[in-house]
Amino acid sequence: MTTTARRSPTGAGMMDRRRLLQAGAGLGALTLTGGLAGRALAQTPTLDMWWWGEQELPGLQAYLDKAIAAFTEAQVTPMLQDTAVVISQFQTAAAAGEPPDLQYLWNGIYHMESVWLGYLAHLDGLMDDGLLAASNHGPLSRFDGHVWRMGWYPLPMPWYYNKDLFDKAGLNADAPPATWDELLAACEALKTAGVEPFGGGVQDGYWAEWYITHGLSQNLDSVGDAVNLFIGDLDFREPRYHQHWVKLQELRDAGFLNKDMASLGLYPGIDLCVNGQLGICSSIGTRLPADAKTTNGRIGCMVLPVFGQGALAGRPVVDMQGMGIAAGSEAKEAAASFLNFLNQPAQLASFWEATGWIPAASGFDDSVITDASVKDLWTRWGKGDPITNITNLMPGQFYEQAAIPTGQNIITAGMSGEEAGELAARVAQEWRDFNPDLVEKYQQWASELSAG
Amino acid sequence: MRRNSPLVPYLFVLPLICLLAFVFGLSLIRLVEFSFKQVRGIDGPWIGLRNYELVLGQPLFWESVIHNLKLFLTIPVMVMVALVLALLLYERLPGWRIHRTILFLPYILAIPIIAVVMKEMFQFSGPVNAVLTALSLDFMVLDWIGSADVALWTVMGLIVWRETALGVILFLSRLMALDESLIEAARLDGASWRQRAWHVLIPQMRGVIEFFVVISAITMLSAVFAYVYVIGGGRGGPGTATMVIELYIFNALIRTSLPGIAAAVSVLLFAVSLLLIWALFRVRRREEA
Amino acid sequence: MRLRPLPHLALSIASAIALIPTVFMLVTALKAQEEYQADKTGWPDAFVFDHFRQILFDTPIFLWMANSLILVAGSVGLSLVVACLAAYAIARMEFRGRDAILTVSTALMAVPPVVLIVPLFVLYTRLGLISTYGGAILIYAGLITPFSVYLLVTFFRSLPQELIDAAVMDGATHLQILMRVVLPLSLAPLLTLVIVNALFVWNDLLMAVIFLQDDAKKTVMAGIAVFQGRYNNQIPLTMAGMAVAAAPMLILYLTFQRHFVRGLMAGAVK
Repeated sequence: MTTTARRSPTGAGMMDRRRLLQAGAGLGALTLTGGLAGRALAQTPTLDMWWWGEQELPGLQAYLDKAIAAFTEAQVTPMLQDTAVVISQFQTAAAAGEPPDLQYLWNGIYHMESVWLGYLAHLDGLMDDGLLAASNHGPLSRFDGHVWRMGWYPLPMPWYYNKDLFDKAGLNADAPPATWDELLAACEALKTAGVEPFGGGVQDGYWAEWYITHGLSQNLDSVGDAVNLFIGDLDFREPRYHQHWVKLQELRDAGFLNKDMASLGLYPGIDLCVNGQLGICSSIGTRLPADAKTTNGRIGCMVLPVFGQGALAGRPVVDMQGMGIAAGSEAKEAAASFLNFLNQPAQLASFWEATGWIPAASGFDDSVITDASVKDLWTRWGKGDPITNITNLMPGQFYEQAAIPTGQNIITAGMSGEEAGELAARVAQEWRDFNPDLVEKYQQWASELSAG
Repeated sequence: MRRNSPLVPYLFVLPLICLLAFVFGLSLIRLVEFSFKQVRGIDGPWIGLRNYELVLGQPLFWESVIHNLKLFLTIPVMVMVALVLALLLYERLPGWRIHRTILFLPYILAIPIIAVVMKEMFQFSGPVNAVLTALSLDFMVLDWIGSADVALWTVMGLIVWRETALGVILFLSRLMALDESLIEAARLDGASWRQRAWHVLIPQMRGVIEFFVVISAITMLSAVFAYVYVIGGGRGGPGTATMVIELYIFNALIRTSLPGIAAAVSVLLFAVSLLLIWALFRVRRREEA
Repeated sequence: MRLRPLPHLALSIASAIALIPTVFMLVTALKAQEEYQADKTGWPDAFVFDHFRQILFDTPIFLWMANSLILVAGSVGLSLVVACLAAYAIARMEFRGRDAILTVSTALMAVPPVVLIVPLFVLYTRLGLISTYGGAILIYAGLITPFSVYLLVTFFRSLPQELIDAAVMDGATHLQILMRVVLPLSLAPLLTLVIVNALFVWNDLLMAVIFLQDDAKKTVMAGIAVFQGRYNNQIPLTMAGMAVAAAPMLILYLTFQRHFVRGLMAGAVK
């Protein structure tokens, strides 16, 4: 039970109710097929697969069931994990010498810690190298010259704006604000038109994390800088590194944040924007197919308007979910060939069919995307020049004690951007004191990331 | 086996010893061991008192302690409310049984359920504020769960709402067990309700009140996790406004990969809880004497 | 009898406060989503039962309840047997180590469940007890037994010695005395324990989430916790879920409320 089992920003709670109900109904079917397959294929190798994702991407379970049934080289037994224990369950099992063969892996530190503990096998040389590269695992899956994770499906992170409300405020709905000044002007116009301009819900904390994702990266030149900040090698008290919090304070002081922001959760906050009660909010791409349908395409996607000077400023953010193989697996080759199998064009097409969402691999034929909003998102985020989500580089301690509290305190408790920088610097120092054994690993990671 | 074989008592307590040894025995030993180690995965090197040093030097830990102490403020409130309600029920006014049934209801509802319901009621754009606005009590419209200044008080309100029910039942049962003739005598002497309550009833309830206070103190220290977890957005928020020791342990364990730190705080918490249990024992022993 | 408006008023206000959240939960559960968004406090224009239909038929709620029931029955039963045996010996027999056992057992009441998670999780992974009923029942039984022992020892000690002496004269064994003399006199505290312990196990979320990860083993509390999620704004549906999850204990309480209250009172201290 060792690690950051904080949830990915796309945690289980994010599913809406309809999706959950479907997931529940699917359970019985899964158990049944698993059992039958077991008897039929008793002589082939067996693979345990612990996975997650049905929670944020309904239909994943149906897709997996089909893929497993079609895979003949081994018998795969899937188990859908509870959000709270995705990491701790794997690490404890690995420490006890009984890991599953295949494990679902969130990005960055969420699997890197398992790499450092020796629980994961590197996939280069195990999987087909071409397929592994084409799976778009992203930079945060590399360490020590190896790749430790296959990319499974991407999570673009756009900001939503409601086009109807932009129209109402006399703004150009096809040209959302791109600079900070334009954002302030747009917020002013929305406010004048009687619309709450900016925000969402920060009660459960994820909004504060996402704000760092988009805001802090604007003043960074590489993702390695982010690691250095989180672990205290760079200093949050330097103005450029807490400028994003100063900007949030600016929005608060101008009265641009929605007034129930502090008591709403992340998804109800996004719903405000979709329902026409909020102008601009932070969102996630997997929601867009449904939200575009609800609003008849009246949700636009943009990046956070730019205030920063860093090389990463103004670029779209795409996070990535993935899959890996346990170091303790006794059937690594079979597990790797299952991962290869999932990257075949036919399987990628089946993924889209079952989930309505895009698989990560380049081999996916994206001409099947018909919805204009989704297509636009995919063109500009997925196939643009995206950066990764830097909050995936945070140690859990920094995430819990600095990333979330700073945002919440600025919004609800009158904290200033500068004070937020001081708190972050202090927590980074505390992290060093509490984790002397990890500092070196993080530093190596940061230097590899900075080298690109 | 013969009744007076010296082995008999041990056979009777053997299942207890096995059960407790299995669930607590090994665990508590490992816990103490972990508190002196820098644990990664499921073990790590010995580091002496370093974990305790780090914890005691961290502002967040002390903030959590202070929040737990603030929760103790609910105890006098609960005692007073429960006492008044129990005394009123004891009057056996018409319909008192219905009131008794209703007043105990909060205790039947699971905390994870009722906290979700309350959280919804206390949303900024939620029903409580809607009612307050409708009653022109706008000055009372607060951001109950969203404001860092108010959230802990909201949690305390919820705790009082639910845990007082236990006090009512405990106190009432003590009252019911009293010798009726004493009270009748006081009534005949022309003592008012308040006089009877203050001079006749309450003095005889000292034991049960002390018991409730100690039970509540243990609750405030080590059984508020579910309340805080739901109301504080799972993290003791907003900011760190509702962070308590239990959540600190949970976070150290589950979210920040620090089982050694979690163990050190657990040991501290256990030690303080033991003190309270010891106090309870003393109370009971004095009762029995 | 004199009319006493003030006490009546006080009790009525207290009862109203105790009742409001439950009423809100039920009323909201019967409201349409759109109506709730527009009016959060009023009576529903028309009762909507669809939320309940969704909970009951589209989620595995009955499976969750069955799981909770198995855990409650298993752990409360096991704990009662263990506690009765031990409490009888501690209260009514002389033997070396008696006080030590009682002291240790009572001290364990002070262990916050959260501190046991790490060591138990490691232990259970090694023993293959994660996501097994047996494993979870043992943990719950362990957690509730110290209080049970404590309460029963206190009660057994208060029983008149003559009764037991008489049974001894008749040549009864200790087990027979326990079964035929002591337990029949102890129904009230036993009822208390069943109620308090069943509430504890049924309502627990922490252990349920960590030690019963398998979907087929989820308890009601774990199930509705996922169900409720954190990002949902379909409040009426959420409330319907909460109402269904609360229903078994509510119904039990309202049906047997006299026994509930009497049982709790019997267990209460002097």
